[in-house]
Amino acid sequence: MSLKRIWSILRKDLKLGPRHPFFLLAVIMPVVLTFIFQVAFGSLFEPRPRLGIVDQAQSEITSSVRQMEGIELTLLDDVETLKKQVEENDLDAGLVLPAGFDEAVRAGKRPKLEFYIGGESLASNRIILTVTAIDLLRGIEGGGAPVEVKTVQLGEGGLPVAVRLVPMLVFYALVMAGLWVPAASLVEEKEKGTFTALLVSPARTTEVLAAKWILGFILSLIMAAATLLLNRAFGPRPLEVLAVIAVAALLNCMLGLLVGVVSKNSTMFFSLVKGTGIFLFAPVVFYIFPHWPQWIARIFPLYWIMEPIWQVSVMGRPLGSVRLELAVALAITLALVPLIAALNRRAQA
Amino acid sequence: MKRSLPGRSGKIIGAIMLKDLRLYGRNKIYVVLTVLTLACFGALFWLIPGTVEETITLAISPPLQTIINEGKEALRELGASAEMLQELEQTEFAEEGLELVGLESAAQLRRAVEGTLEVYRPKGGGDLILRDKAAGEKKPKDAQRVQLDIGIAFPDSFIAGVAGREKTTVTVYANADVPEEIRQAMQSFVREIAYQLAGRELPVELPAEETIILGPDRSGAQASMRDKMRPLLAFFALVLETYAMASLISTELLQRTVTALLVTPMKMWHFLAAKTLFGTGLALLQGLTILVLVGAFTPANWLLLLTIMLLGSLLFTGVAMLIGAAGKDFLDQLIYALLFSVPLMIPAFAVLFPGTAAAWVRVIPSYPIAELLANTTIYGSSWRDSLGLLGYALLWGAVLYAMSLLVLKRKVESL
Repeated sequence: MSLKRIWSILRKDLKLGPRHPFFLLAVIMPVVLTFIFQVAFGSLFEPRPRLGIVDQAQSEITSSVRQMEGIELTLLDDVETLKKQVEENDLDAGLVLPAGFDEAVRAGKRPKLEFYIGGESLASNRIILTVTAIDLLRGIEGGGAPVEVKTVQLGEGGLPVAVRLVPMLVFYALVMAGLWVPAASLVEEKEKGTFTALLVSPARTTEVLAAKWILGFILSLIMAAATLLLNRAFGPRPLEVLAVIAVAALLNCMLGLLVGVVSKNSTMFFSLVKGTGIFLFAPVVFYIFPHWPQWIARIFPLYWIMEPIWQVSVMGRPLGSVRLELAVALAITLALVPLIAALNRRAQA
Repeated sequence: MKRSLPGRSGKIIGAIMLKDLRLYGRNKIYVVLTVLTLACFGALFWLIPGTVEETITLAISPPLQTIINEGKEALRELGASAEMLQELEQTEFAEEGLELVGLESAAQLRRAVEGTLEVYRPKGGGDLILRDKAAGEKKPKDAQRVQLDIGIAFPDSFIAGVAGREKTTVTVYANADVPEEIRQAMQSFVREIAYQLAGRELPVELPAEETIILGPDRSGAQASMRDKMRPLLAFFALVLETYAMASLISTELLQRTVTALLVTPMKMWHFLAAKTLFGTGLALLQGLTILVLVGAFTPANWLLLLTIMLLGSLLFTGVAMLIGAAGKDFLDQLIYALLFSVPLMIPAFAVLFPGTAAAWVRVIPSYPIAELLANTTIYGSSWRDSLGLLGYALLWGAVLYAMSLLVLKRKVESL
C-alpha cells in the first residue's frame, strides 16, 4: 500500500469534494438539524400547558401567568378566536377577562368567570390550568391564604431535553459525514466507472478505500466537534472529547466503507441506508427517554460510540470512565477491516 | 392476427414493468432489507407506548380518610354542626386527572418522593406495599410500582387548624424532575383546599362544566404516541420508496438504457406509464403492508385508506420521477432526494404536535396526505369529512405528476 497514492486520491477527493453539493449538505445538515430539533421539536418531548387569555381588563392574572415558567401564554384579541383555538387544540384552555374584572373581584361582586377547556387537552393540563387560574383569582381577591405552603425539592433534576437531544444531533453529524460521504463517494465512482478506471492505474482498491476512509474520518471529526460546540456540549475536557469523537469517527467511516463496498449501485445503497438506519439510530433514542431499560441500547453497535460521547462531552466524565466502551468500539472497527477486505476482494473477482 | 393498439401498448408497458420487477427481484439485498424495514416499522409501532399518561399521581400523608376523621373530631370539639361534618365527609378531594396515594407519615412520603422507598399497588387490589430497597427487601410479586414524584404532607391538625384560623403549614415534597407548573399547581391545590375548609367561597361564579369544554371531550381517551405513529409510519414508507424509485429512473437515464429502448416499438409514453404504474404500485404495496402491520384497517375505513394511499403513492411517484430526472449523477440525485423529502416529511411530524398545522405547513404538497392519514387512522374520519382534503391531495398529486412527466420527457428527449 502506497501512502503517496492514498494521498493523491484523498487530495483529489478533498479538492473536488467541496465543489459538490453533497459535502455542503453534510456540513449544513448538523446546523439545520440542531435548529429543527432544539427549537421546533423540543416542545414535543416536554410539552407545557398552553393557556390563552383575552385580557380587556389589564388584569393582574395576565402579568402573573406571564411570569410563570411552566405555562405557555398566548394573548388574543377576541373571544371567538380564543374559543376556536381552544376547540382546535391549539390551546389547552382559554380565559376571558372583561374590562373591570379585577375590580369586580376585589369588590366581592363574584363576576361570572369565562373559562374554556379544550376537549382534546390532557386531564393533567386541565387540572394545572384550572387550579392555577383559581389560585390567581384568590390572589386578586386578597385577604391572604389560610395556609402556608412550603416546597421541598428532593434529589437532582433530570437533564433538560435540549441536552438529551445532543446524542441524536452528534449521531447525524457522524453518520452524514462519516458514513454517507465515503459510501456515497464509492458508489458514485462505481456508477460513473471511475472506480474501474482507477484500477488500470498503479492504485490498488485498498488504497482507494483507505483514501475514502480518511476523507470520511476528517469530515466526521470536524462535523461532530462542530455539532457539540453548537450545542455547547464540549464538556470540561476538550482533548478527551476529541479522543472519543475520533474513535466514533473511526467506526462510522468503517461502516461507511462497508456500505460502499457492498453497494453495487445507488439502489442497493439506498436499500442499505433504509434497512440499517433504524439499527444505527436505535441507541440514540434511549438518551431521549432515560426511563426506558437502558441495557437494550447496548445491543446496537453505535451505542459503543454514543455512550463515550455522552459521558465525556455531556456529563463531563473522564476518558477512563468509558474505557470499556471505547475498547468495544475499537474492536468492532478492527473486526470490520478483514470483512471489508474480503467483501472488496469478492466484488473485484 | 394483428394485435390492437391498446393491447400492444399494454404488452409493452407490461414488459417494461416486468423488467423493473426482475431488476428489483434480482437485488436480493434490496428485497431482504425492504422486508426487514417493513417488519421493523411494524415492531417499532407495537413497542411505542399505547397509552397516554394524563394523570398526576400525588402522594399525601396522612391518608385522606385519616385527615377527614381527625378533622371531624377536631371540628366536633370546636362545636361544628352535624351538616358541616357530613359535608366534610362527602368532600371530593380527588379530581379527574389527579390520583391520590395515601401514605402513613411525612417521613414515608419524603422517602417515596426521593425514591429510596418504593411503593407498589397489588394488581388484585388491596393495601399499598412499601419496599425499602436499601434494606434488601424483595420486590413484591403481582404488584405494580407507583411512581411518586410529588407529595403533600399535611399536618395532623390540618382541618382543625385551618377551620380554627390557626397558622398552619403544609409541605409539598417534589422531586427535582417535576415540572415547575405541576409544583405551582400543587401549591395552589393545597391553598384552595384550605380556602374551602375555611369557608371562603370562590371570588367568581364558575360556569357549568358542560359549557366550558370545547370540542369533543377526549379526556381518558387521548390519542397515544402509538396511535400517532400509525399514519407517520405509512407516510415514511411512501417517502423511503421515493429514494429507490428515483434511483431506478436515474439509472435508466445515466446508463441511457431508455434511449436504447426508444429504438424499439416502445414510445415515450409507454416508458412514462410503466414507471408511473410500477412506482405507484411499489409504494402502495409497502404503504399498505405497514398499515396492515399496525392494524390501521377497519371495515369502515379500508376503502378510504386505500384511496388515500393510492393518492399518496401517485404523489410520491411524481416526486421520485422529478428527482430521478433532475440529477446529473448519483450524488446529485441523493441531494435532490434529501432536499425534496425533508420538507415533504414536515407535515407528517406536525401530526405529533397538538392543534392545527401552521399555514406554511398546509401549503406543502404532502400535507393533505399526512392529514388524511392522521384523521382517518387516529380520529376515524369518514368520506364526508375527508372530501376537501382528498380534492386537495388530488390537485397536488396532479400538479407534481404533470411536472414530473414534463421534466422526465424533456430529459429523455435531450439524451
